[in-house]
Amino acid sequence: MNAMTNAMTNAMTNAMTKFRGWIAVLLLGFAGLVLAQGNIEIDTPAIAALKQSMQQRHAKLAPLYASGAVGLAADGNVALRDASGVPLAQRGQANALVAAENADRAALYREIARANGHPEWEADVRATFARRWIDRAQPGWWIQRDGNWVRK
Amino acid sequence: MARLAFLLLILAWSGFAGARALQLDLGRLTHPVFVIDGLRVRLGDEGEAAELAIERFAIGKRDWQNVTIRCPAFRFERAVVRCRRGMLTVPGLFERATIDLHFDTRNKSGELNLRMPGREAINIVMRPDGRIVASLAGFAVARLGELLDLASWNAAGRLVGRIEYSPTRDGARIRVSGKLEGGGFTQADGLRAAEGLGLDIDLGARRGPTGWDWQGRVAWNAGEAYLHPLYLVAGPAVEAAGRLEAEVLTVARARLELEGVRTIAANAEIGLQPLVVRSLAFSVADADLAVVGPRYLAPAFAPAVTDQLRFSGHVSAAATLEEGVPTAVDLAFDEAGFSLSNKELSFGPLTGVMPWRAKARTEARLAVGGGRWQKLALGAFELVARLDGQGVDVDHVAIPVLDGALVLERLALARDAAGWHGSGAAVVEPISMALLAEAVGLPAMSGVLTASLPGLRVAPGEVSLDGALVISVFDGYLQATRLQLFEPFGVASHLYADVQARHLDLAQLTEAFSFGSVSGFVDADVLGLELARWRPVRFDARVISSPGNYPRRISQRAVQNISALGGPGAVAALQRGLLGLFETFGYREIGISCVLRDGVCRMDGLDDRIAPGDGYYIVRGGGIPALNVIGYNRRVDWNELIDRLQRVIASNAPLVIQ
Repeated sequence: MNAMTNAMTNAMTNAMTKFRGWIAVLLLGFAGLVLAQGNIEIDTPAIAALKQSMQQRHAKLAPLYASGAVGLAADGNVALRDASGVPLAQRGQANALVAAENADRAALYREIARANGHPEWEADVRATFARRWIDRAQPGWWIQRDGNWVRK
Repeated sequence: MARLAFLLLILAWSGFAGARALQLDLGRLTHPVFVIDGLRVRLGDEGEAAELAIERFAIGKRDWQNVTIRCPAFRFERAVVRCRRGMLTVPGLFERATIDLHFDTRNKSGELNLRMPGREAINIVMRPDGRIVASLAGFAVARLGELLDLASWNAAGRLVGRIEYSPTRDGARIRVSGKLEGGGFTQADGLRAAEGLGLDIDLGARRGPTGWDWQGRVAWNAGEAYLHPLYLVAGPAVEAAGRLEAEVLTVARARLELEGVRTIAANAEIGLQPLVVRSLAFSVADADLAVVGPRYLAPAFAPAVTDQLRFSGHVSAAATLEEGVPTAVDLAFDEAGFSLSNKELSFGPLTGVMPWRAKARTEARLAVGGGRWQKLALGAFELVARLDGQGVDVDHVAIPVLDGALVLERLALARDAAGWHGSGAAVVEPISMALLAEAVGLPAMSGVLTASLPGLRVAPGEVSLDGALVISVFDGYLQATRLQLFEPFGVASHLYADVQARHLDLAQLTEAFSFGSVSGFVDADVLGLELARWRPVRFDARVISSPGNYPRRISQRAVQNISALGGPGAVAALQRGLLGLFETFGYREIGISCVLRDGVCRMDGLDDRIAPGDGYYIVRGGGIPALNVIGYNRRVDWNELIDRLQRVIASNAPLVIQ
């Protein structure tokens, strides 16, 4: 576990510089975007907490995106699509990261819909985010299109 | 067999003839274990060299085409075929393997040696009585991928061992013993993979008229595996017995040895073409949750919080699955304990049974020894729940909290892909505020907390409570309505409520919080209160003197504290001299409001008059001596305000009057 943490930390020394900017752009880049009637950029303490949690986790997920182990799914989640490049002992941790990320993402979509006063918009928020995550994915990351995984 | 004899006769004739470049088509050769079709022998010029070509070589339903053996030294004498330093090619299985063989066609006995690069060797001895003994050394498991239709598993590793086949009166017997070293497999998505596998294998099987009866033991002694979502390491061993008949493998009984579990027993029916587990039943006796919880349960059932879940105690379980779908699960907990996020929420010890059937109602009965939610200890309670498919109904459960209880009634929950949905009602039976305040670290206060929340609704990430939570405290009461709890177990946990307080006795309140001394009563409204992880992040609050006739005095210290809260200049400069002259002052009205947004409190006071210097009256004096407290800061950082309040409460320093 420590080995993995160290490996990831080292990998992220370089990768973070690259990806920190990306996640910031991704999370903040929704400014001005609106749903049909609502604001997808809306900010609340809960949304801020979720974004912070996701941003912290991104340090561990970014190498997995880059290696193709984890891809951006069409449903607004992330998915463990090819774990073969991850050492066996760390595949469970990669799966836990994916599950925790998806839990935060589900909460984020719910919370943005709620903050707009329309909890029923959750599916629309999710669909909008799914498109945006994929549009803004780094070249080389794996994304899901028409049910298939393709490398961007 | 008559045909075979005829063909062999031709072969024999041709061998003695020593003819030039003779080719013989020998047709079919059958044996209980294998079948050879299209056997062709081409002899070289001097009869020294030969090439055997086989169109089809079959073992059971598996077959290989275009098998060839090239023999530079070939002999067929006295019905014995010999091939030395030959080259065997079985496309997809053996490429250019060195072969030495001799075979006595009279009694079908002989020996075959195959050697491949990398010290991989197979020795097969066929005895006249029909026994066949194969010894494997460094045999590449990858070849089994072709043999057993498991190519997608990319199997690796080397087998060392012995396979013995013996014909019996009504069938045959096979015994396999050996070791797998450096084994592994991986599927393309990496979700099922193993590396460095070491196995001790001991299998036996007996073929009867209708199928094979088998038994064996496989012990996993080295390596690691990931079978999504579980990471496993060497240690387990399995003993099993069953039957193989018509492409169906029946595991009549299996016993798995696993660290942390006394016994795991199972039976199963597995279809081999295609490979599918048709039915599976297993039982787990005395699993140590501290071992199996983090290794197997958390990754399988709560992967998102794997590193936050803690387990203790024991559980026994039994389950059946049909075509991969669970049909029955029985759990028996013995002093089991579960906690989440460093004991933020915990339950246990928990003892009882939880039966579940896919198509029938069942009843779970659990005795919970206690628990903890944040700083609150929960007492022992009994939980009786009806389980029905994906639904859970609880008629009544009373969870003791200090000297009261949280009572949940008519709780009906159901789980779908998105999460839990449902409804019910909640009541909080009176909890003394003295105990509650002590438990959560608030100043001592008297009173009781009760709640009647008839409309409890649960949706994914949301619990809403229609009704009121009432705290009778400081001779008045505080009532919270429109309670909603969002994302209760995540980082975004937050709570909404509207709070109204009426007729709170300021004397008790200020004494409880060591805020000086104020007599009188106040009403408060805190609307749209949002707590994120129990810290206020948004509200519209207003506190104002309650209507009515009652003594209204404020102490010198309280005035000073209020002014300290408001920052510099909170007391009208002209009155500062007055402050030092008297211990208490009369007042007519107290009023203060705060609209909290984005960490900033927009403050205001009594709303009917603007105080000099664009200030606002927080305390309007009345009686003798009288003194006004005026606020001038209209935007106060909330965290700074809380810091000041804590300093004021904590400070016992004498007042310094300017």
